[in-house]
Amino acid sequence: MPPRLSILQATRFSRAAVEPSPATSLTALFAGLSIQFRSAHILASLSDNKGAYNKRIRKGRGPSSGKGKTSGRGHKGQRQHGHVHPWFQGGQTPLIRSKGQKGFINLHKLDMTEINVGTIQKYIDEGRLDVKKQITVKELWDAKLLTRLRDGVKLLAGGMEELKAPIDIMVSRASTQAIAAVEAAGGKVVTRYYTKDSMARLIKGLSISTDKPLPVGRRHVAKVLEEHRARDKFYYRLPDPTGRKDIEYYRDPAHRGYMSHLLQAGESPSLFYKVPPQIKKRTIAEEKAAAKLGRDASGPKKRVDTMRLWE
Amino acid sequence: MAGKTPRSLAEAMKALSLASGSTRPTILGKFPNPCAAKTMATEAPRPGNSHIPYSEERIPLWRPDAKVPLTIHSFPSLEPKSLEYWSVQHLHVPMRKDLLHLAIVYEGDNTRQGTAHVKNAWEVAGSHRKLYRQKGTGMARAGWKQSPIRKGGGKAHGPRKNRDFTTQLTRKVYDQAWRIALSYRYRRGELIVVEENGLELPVRQDFVDLCKAGTMRPELEESFYKRYVAEVLNAQALGKAAGRTLFVAKNRRDLLWRGLGFAGEHGEVATIDEIDVKDLLEKGKVVMERNVLKELIARHQCDLVNQFAIHGWVNKGPPIGQLALKAD
Repeated sequence: MPPRLSILQATRFSRAAVEPSPATSLTALFAGLSIQFRSAHILASLSDNKGAYNKRIRKGRGPSSGKGKTSGRGHKGQRQHGHVHPWFQGGQTPLIRSKGQKGFINLHKLDMTEINVGTIQKYIDEGRLDVKKQITVKELWDAKLLTRLRDGVKLLAGGMEELKAPIDIMVSRASTQAIAAVEAAGGKVVTRYYTKDSMARLIKGLSISTDKPLPVGRRHVAKVLEEHRARDKFYYRLPDPTGRKDIEYYRDPAHRGYMSHLLQAGESPSLFYKVPPQIKKRTIAEEKAAAKLGRDASGPKKRVDTMRLWE
Repeated sequence: MAGKTPRSLAEAMKALSLASGSTRPTILGKFPNPCAAKTMATEAPRPGNSHIPYSEERIPLWRPDAKVPLTIHSFPSLEPKSLEYWSVQHLHVPMRKDLLHLAIVYEGDNTRQGTAHVKNAWEVAGSHRKLYRQKGTGMARAGWKQSPIRKGGGKAHGPRKNRDFTTQLTRKVYDQAWRIALSYRYRRGELIVVEENGLELPVRQDFVDLCKAGTMRPELEESFYKRYVAEVLNAQALGKAAGRTLFVAKNRRDLLWRGLGFAGEHGEVATIDEIDVKDLLEKGKVVMERNVLKELIARHQCDLVNQFAIHGWVNKGPPIGQLALKAD
């Protein structure tokens, strides 16, 4: 094949196409002068910056090195010849033996990602979070405010005086001060039960974010199935808490829990301590009237279950 | 506080334009244009993030739109086929030899297999019988044959199997090193970009058929390829005399791979996934397809792009190649 263009001509073509621009700076004027041709290959001249590495200390290589005679190990004994364990306290009875161990590590502690309301305001100012939409785990992840999934997300009140935007936020937990700060700015907080897996599915778009607990009971089956079939693809449902303490947290209106609407009037969020129902005492006149009738005025008593969570 | 610097820069520019009495419209657009006709119509509210009161004052970052030209050639005739403009952040990155050094050391570390292994005294086969009695031979006392001090014995502190030499390098540094290497080649005119999927050696079909049918003797085929590749590449200053060439294609091209397999003294071939920063710097020239260059830049620009949205806008970096001129 006869080559029509030599490589030199070809490269010259690209140089000629550079539009001559009026020199705007001194650098541009001198740019043409700094052309330098060196025959050395670039791979032979690569090195890190000066000072990027420290020179290795060569121990025991003469007195002028500063580490010559005892090589920085001092005099005599185990310290010179071998290694003393870092926890050795010079022969003193170790504190761990005389005083014993204090405290313990709680293996059941939830490892929450903590997010401050001040940080959220900063992200809103930078345009990385949209206040028009509800802020959920997905929004926090997309804004790179949340970068690692742990057991959940907890909203804290750090920088609460900076919070101005009325945010609508749904997270795993929220501190009392954080709830107060968000609501003072005209916002809304909902706490919802999340697991690591459910957050991961939300982020991948495999679940639909909702603040409604799953309906339980046979009469809901047909409706839920119908909703699922109407969707374009299968979405995983978000799980609800099963542990007592979790259920109690999300039943509590003080935590703005997403299950707090299930509480009856006067019912305590606790599943352990029952609040005694307020029984209206009958007056003497009423007692007498009842005795006169010879039976209970209110008729046969119905048993009312005040603790109903599910059907 | 990333927003502070551009704001103050823009303010400085505003002050400059006021001081010089320039009649040009300022980039801030804060001053009314006297030429613009006034409209009687009621102004519709501006779309955007009006819910943030101080977003109105935000000034876009100053991003100079500097580009360099890049010629796309045909192969192997190297006729110019089109001219494109590429961002200076892609193809005209200033030289940083320290970053290249870091990248190449990182690549070298990660290519080390770490499988070197020699036997120690207990792994060398044989009996552990005492060689001769302790006293009375006139020889130095000796225990067993496999002792590290004896010839044929084990190695005392030799390399042990399964060592891991991999090191870490910041992704942004590594990506920058890729673009520095490409820019270095570009500035020296040693980066030759050919058309998309156009890197193939034109060989006559009847010759290929003869080779496939087995009519051609292997030695004959080899000698033909050697001479042909040498002729083509030397004529284009891509061969051995020009310091060899690295050809990078998107996929394996049969004829080019076969040709340079026989005539390896003139260069090397590689697909896009087989090259690294050091490969880009080794040979005299680099010839790659346009889509290869595009993909390399797209893969290695994490320091130029954002993964999050600012007011719904994701910074995807400067455009990768814009067509300026096309032949015919």
